[in-house]
Amino acid sequence: MFKRSILVIAALVLVLGVASVSLGAPAFKIGIVTGTVSQGEDEYRGAEYVVAKYPGMLEHRTYPDNFMAEQETYIAQITGLAADPAIKAIVVNQGVPGTVAAIRKVKQLRPDILFVIGEPHEDPPIVEKEADISLIPNNPARGQSIPQLAKKLGAKKFLHYSFPRHMSMNDLATRRDLMEQECKKLGMEFIFVTAPDPMGEGGLPAAQQFILEDVPRQVAKHGKDIAFFSTNCGMQEPLITAILKAGAIFPEQCCPSPTHGYPGALGLEITEELAGNFPAIVKAINTDIVKRGMAGRMATWPVATSYLNTVAGVEIAKLALEKKINIKDMAAVQKVVEEIAGVSMKFERNSEKGQFYRYLVGSIIFGKDVK
Amino acid sequence: MLEKPTAQVKTPAGGSGVGISDILRNWSVPIFFLVISIAGIIAARLDINYLVNEVVGRFGRNAFLVISLIIPVMAGLGLNFGIVVGAMAGQTALVIVTHYQVEGLAGFALAAVISVPIAMLLGLLVGKVLNRAKGREMVTSMIMGYFANGIYQLVFLVLLGTLIPMKDPVLMLGSGIGLRNTIDLIGLSYSLDRAMDWLWNGFVFTSVGAARLGPWRFPLCTLFIIGILCVLTTFITRTKLGQEMRAVGQDMHIAQVAGINVDRTRIIAIMMSTVLAAWGQLIFLQNLGTFNTYSSHEQVGMFSVAAILVGGATTRRATIWNAIVGTLLFHTLFVVSPLAGQRLFGVSQVGEYFRSFLAYGVIAVALALHAWQGRSSKQSK
Repeated sequence: MFKRSILVIAALVLVLGVASVSLGAPAFKIGIVTGTVSQGEDEYRGAEYVVAKYPGMLEHRTYPDNFMAEQETYIAQITGLAADPAIKAIVVNQGVPGTVAAIRKVKQLRPDILFVIGEPHEDPPIVEKEADISLIPNNPARGQSIPQLAKKLGAKKFLHYSFPRHMSMNDLATRRDLMEQECKKLGMEFIFVTAPDPMGEGGLPAAQQFILEDVPRQVAKHGKDIAFFSTNCGMQEPLITAILKAGAIFPEQCCPSPTHGYPGALGLEITEELAGNFPAIVKAINTDIVKRGMAGRMATWPVATSYLNTVAGVEIAKLALEKKINIKDMAAVQKVVEEIAGVSMKFERNSEKGQFYRYLVGSIIFGKDVK
Repeated sequence: MLEKPTAQVKTPAGGSGVGISDILRNWSVPIFFLVISIAGIIAARLDINYLVNEVVGRFGRNAFLVISLIIPVMAGLGLNFGIVVGAMAGQTALVIVTHYQVEGLAGFALAAVISVPIAMLLGLLVGKVLNRAKGREMVTSMIMGYFANGIYQLVFLVLLGTLIPMKDPVLMLGSGIGLRNTIDLIGLSYSLDRAMDWLWNGFVFTSVGAARLGPWRFPLCTLFIIGILCVLTTFITRTKLGQEMRAVGQDMHIAQVAGINVDRTRIIAIMMSTVLAAWGQLIFLQNLGTFNTYSSHEQVGMFSVAAILVGGATTRRATIWNAIVGTLLFHTLFVVSPLAGQRLFGVSQVGEYFRSFLAYGVIAVALALHAWQGRSSKQSK
């Protein structure tokens, strides 16, 4: 009896499995690879949104949470997508280390596959040679815009949290140096604090705990008019929580977005009506921040950059496969991205050797710019 | 390929038993992994061509590193998590070779040569520390890996460009101090894997009956080198040095009384392992084609140790077959589990959580099975 019931179950699993093969076949499929919601939700929610928008066209995969250690598994995820001949483009957000190796492996057997990379972590001159398009906030330019914004919010000092792994990323290191110069120009003291690496031995919890403990320490030492900035996604929520408690200043996150860290720190529930509706989310955050007496001391970009990278990445890939857009035309790509973001942006190309696009968006200050 | 563990039961490494209970006892961990992997393959409805390609690729990348663990086990040092240090030596050699733009097989060979003195020196230091921590070698070597990582970052992120003069705008950060986080190895890419293309390019693309086989690509030269390493490792165990290592591994005190220089033998074992790990890391990185300056080595120790344990090795006994079977099974599971997770749950991130639960849970079970093995073999005596 036992044996038979196992057989029946096995047969059922097989039948259900075969039946669940996607119905309806579009001309091509696009693969999306994002992180899970463990570090930052935006890129994953963006993928959920496009999967629902284009049913049957997208294959969504996630890369390992521990992507630094499990690089081979990450590469296998991408080559696995490329093994499906229907896949004609792959959108990766964020482009964690190993992306270049994965693209090369895929292009050996499938040179036709189009790669769109959001937030590449690897070195821009190498990424631009391999990826067809890359989208990333303009980090070097933010080296000036963030201290300026901090000054506008009333900061007298500027504190930058990071760790060696991030400081070996050229754009982030350049941004740090530019921030220091800009702070000097604006008459603000620049303080660099090394935080634990979330990919280190202690993992993310150790890094988050450090932020929760260090912010009050720094505020006690330097006073309330100090602006905080951290280069790591996982640190944003504890950072905002600690800043709200201490009454310090927060110009923007590493990946600027209303949904990055703010909802979690404020205890704001993203209901079904709010999900994906950024103006409504901004309004809800604004009300809460004003209520806590932090008006004019916190800011962000009106668009979720990680969310945008995923959604715009898929849109660009789709248009390119339909031959409706020339990916080398920066203005055309910019138009697509702006349309999805609903705001105007400043686009910049890393060099003529590829399509490595950096973009900059104006900030909104809570309690001031939001009505 | 997947039937290997059962097929190899009669090899000397599989133990002397031939009865079912002996097979189960000696190979319980690999058999357990095999069952999980096959279940995963069925659940994921995996394309067999993709599976073969991935597993062959990952075997070529990792086998050398896993085999480098055998000698220290023989000498009673347990599983050497310190191969991370060897990997750093290999990477240092790669930085030098890339800086001077030596490309192709010559570049690879040069990197292999440069890495030897660095790895030997580091291995000597690790060996000396481990000699002061007898009985706690494994945890010590693991912490040594973390410690060395700090020094590695200090050297390549701070000292390079300040204390150590170097100018290279491609490799170094814009400020002129420290290396960038990615180093492009395009000149060395596949330099070893494809070094025997003149013989056969390792390409399989045919069909048997209705089944399509391929396209697969075997890293022929790398597999050949791994083969040579297997032979050499077996050979070393039969030399005088190998016998001394075994004696030290069985009982340090008796070996000492028998006139063997225990400390020296242990240091030699660690140095060999470190040099092999440096070469293993070179093989790994020439296959990937890019190298993450500050993190490529971190993944080495844990995964190699996990692989050899999956192959049925213990901290006291490890053979070539344990390494080979373990590498194949461990990486099969890692290729299969993400897709299996995703297919079973339908939501990609739940698939990822399931995967890490499965992959690491299974390793934990493997360790528990070892304990069971150990106990039952004691009872049978």
